Amino acid sequence: MFECLFEQASLLKKICEAIKELTDQACFEVSGTGISLQAMDSSHVSLVSFLLRNEHFSQFRCDRNLTLGLNLKMITKILKTAGNEDRVTLRAEDDGDHLVMVIESKTGNKISSYEVKMLDIDQQAFGVNETDYKASTKMSSEEFQRICHDLLVVGDTVSIEMTKDGITFSVSGTETSGCITCRQSGTVDDESVGTEITLQEPMNLSFALKFLNLFTKATPLSNSVSIEMSADQPLCIHYDIGDMGNIRYFLAPKIDDEEGAGAAGAPAAAPTEAAGGDDE
Amino acid sequence: MGIKHLMQVILENAPDAVVENPVPSYFGRVIGIDASMALYQFLIAVRVEGQQLTNDKGEVTSHLMGMFTRTTKMMAAGLRPVYVFDGRPPEAKQNELARRHEVREDAKEKEAEAKEAGDQAEMERFSRRQVRVNQQHCDEAKRLLTLMGIPYIEAPGEAEAQCAALCRAGKIWATGSEDMDSLCFGSPILLRNLTFSEARKLPIREVHLDQVIAGLGLTMPQFVDFCILCGCDYCGTIKGIGEKNALKLIKRWGTIEQALEHLDKTKFPLPESFNYQQARALFQQPEVLDPARVDLRWGQPDEEGLVQFLVGEKQFAEDRVRATTARLRASKQTATQSRLEQFMGPPAIMTSCSAPPGPWPMVQGPIVLTPSPFPPLRQQAGAAAAEKGNKKARTSAKGAKGAAKATATKPAAKKR
Repeated sequence: MFECLFEQASLLKKICEAIKELTDQACFEVSGTGISLQAMDSSHVSLVSFLLRNEHFSQFRCDRNLTLGLNLKMITKILKTAGNEDRVTLRAEDDGDHLVMVIESKTGNKISSYEVKMLDIDQQAFGVNETDYKASTKMSSEEFQRICHDLLVVGDTVSIEMTKDGITFSVSGTETSGCITCRQSGTVDDESVGTEITLQEPMNLSFALKFLNLFTKATPLSNSVSIEMSADQPLCIHYDIGDMGNIRYFLAPKIDDEEGAGAAGAPAAAPTEAAGGDDE
Repeated sequence: MGIKHLMQVILENAPDAVVENPVPSYFGRVIGIDASMALYQFLIAVRVEGQQLTNDKGEVTSHLMGMFTRTTKMMAAGLRPVYVFDGRPPEAKQNELARRHEVREDAKEKEAEAKEAGDQAEMERFSRRQVRVNQQHCDEAKRLLTLMGIPYIEAPGEAEAQCAALCRAGKIWATGSEDMDSLCFGSPILLRNLTFSEARKLPIREVHLDQVIAGLGLTMPQFVDFCILCGCDYCGTIKGIGEKNALKLIKRWGTIEQALEHLDKTKFPLPESFNYQQARALFQQPEVLDPARVDLRWGQPDEEGLVQFLVGEKQFAEDRVRATTARLRASKQTATQSRLEQFMGPPAIMTSCSAPPGPWPMVQGPIVLTPSPFPPLRQQAGAAAAEKGNKKARTSAKGAKGAAKATATKPAAKKR
């Protein structure tokens, strides 16, 4: 059987919030090493993966590896009934078809128990190659969230440029364009997180803001975020969950339409040789 | 049209072959659309108070309106449509075409009757049945597409056959048609409901050929034979043999030849002309343009040309034409969203807990055998566990550790 105890419901809440925008249903894999998950949005543009290592749970038991197919919307609703300080236990039998969630109030006087039916999910998973990213920026997660949110006013595609001086987010819409630059700064003081850039070569790629805004749902999990890019690779947005694990998002870039650029002035349609009765 | 009841058979026997997705999830996909089918749908569906749209000369313009707006919507959603027009219909289709002609004649008479009786609903019904896509409609559609900057192809024979050839050659991602024939011609993916009105909010139905034939338990040649027995456009059917019997026969005997040999001819008399070899040849070696010679380009729309054609000749509202053109132009300017598959290779399927046990993850293609399938997760996890001696996992974690890294060796989720 599998059993683990979250001392604070808030952690599990935040994790579910960070994933449920991308997919309604997901497979949680539990093994002797911890809990992990990989899920994609329906159009296969983005992917989220997270890991929580077993040794950071106050109780963790897993007799055999299980893959738990769960409805995240339902799990989130149940977690809403728990206070942030409540303790949550997850339990699943090796051959059961449901997950048991036990929510214990801080004082221990109230115990709620929920059974959630598990789903048959055929999920597609990628082998993500561990790329050595050519450019990466570590910055305040709240700042990043704000930038993604603010730029959505202007347009839906952001180009992210990293140079040795800083990271620039620029958006151009039909009538407006805008850009926000965060300069390389290092840590300013103990409280706030500065912007640190590690660069092998400058990088400039375009992404859909819609997805970046979904990723920033993970902001409450960490006060810093790493943005990592390489040419011809998906963007990686990386949040550490304390020292317990991490949550990472991958996003396929937007690519300029070659034909669009090439054929701008060229004759519109290109029917084949057989096209005989062309009008005009 | 198409293969009789094929969709039902597929839904019953191979439900996994059909997926439904909303239109926007097809961004970036190049889709070959059967133009005759699309025009026919527009002529039927684009109406005001039951009447087709016309200009002041009384010429029908429904097809142009439909094509203009639907194509723009597809482009705006990031799809890249290519229209494929029918060429000469094959000889074998003459019977089917004659039958359709009769249906139209019949409808004409009935409409006249309904008119006399003053029954508006019946009149509309029969007027729709008379709809036919003629050469003029096609020529106007081609002119419109040229002005819009949308590519089109004129197939030498059937449009679906051409789409299938393009699809197999990777020139297009899927065939967009209502006609199930496309599967017989070998289109790996067929999209239905693509040209329906957006107001109906129908999701697009995606049919995967490989899963269809796997689900039916047939090979591709057997699938074609099965479809011919079900009833196609090129060949008569045997009375008493429907889709259920057809599937049984082909599963039992493998080919039509064998099946006919063992068929009780007194119970199931063959029709006068049952030229299944010809139908089979049409499905398997149709007349198509070599896909390698097809070059697809999406250009800029010619706004003044569109205004002159649609407003000047066809009396469309000018502001609407200009607004739609602007949308079309905008759709060309945005960069196209790519997919993770383009960078990470095809995904493997993993199955959740309550599914039957099996090796995990189930592998589709060679991807899982590549050296680093998502190593950070597992390796970090494994390493961390190794370092700390894994105090809290009271169980077989150590055994799991070794397996954790090797992708294909993860134990089954659960025993049944």
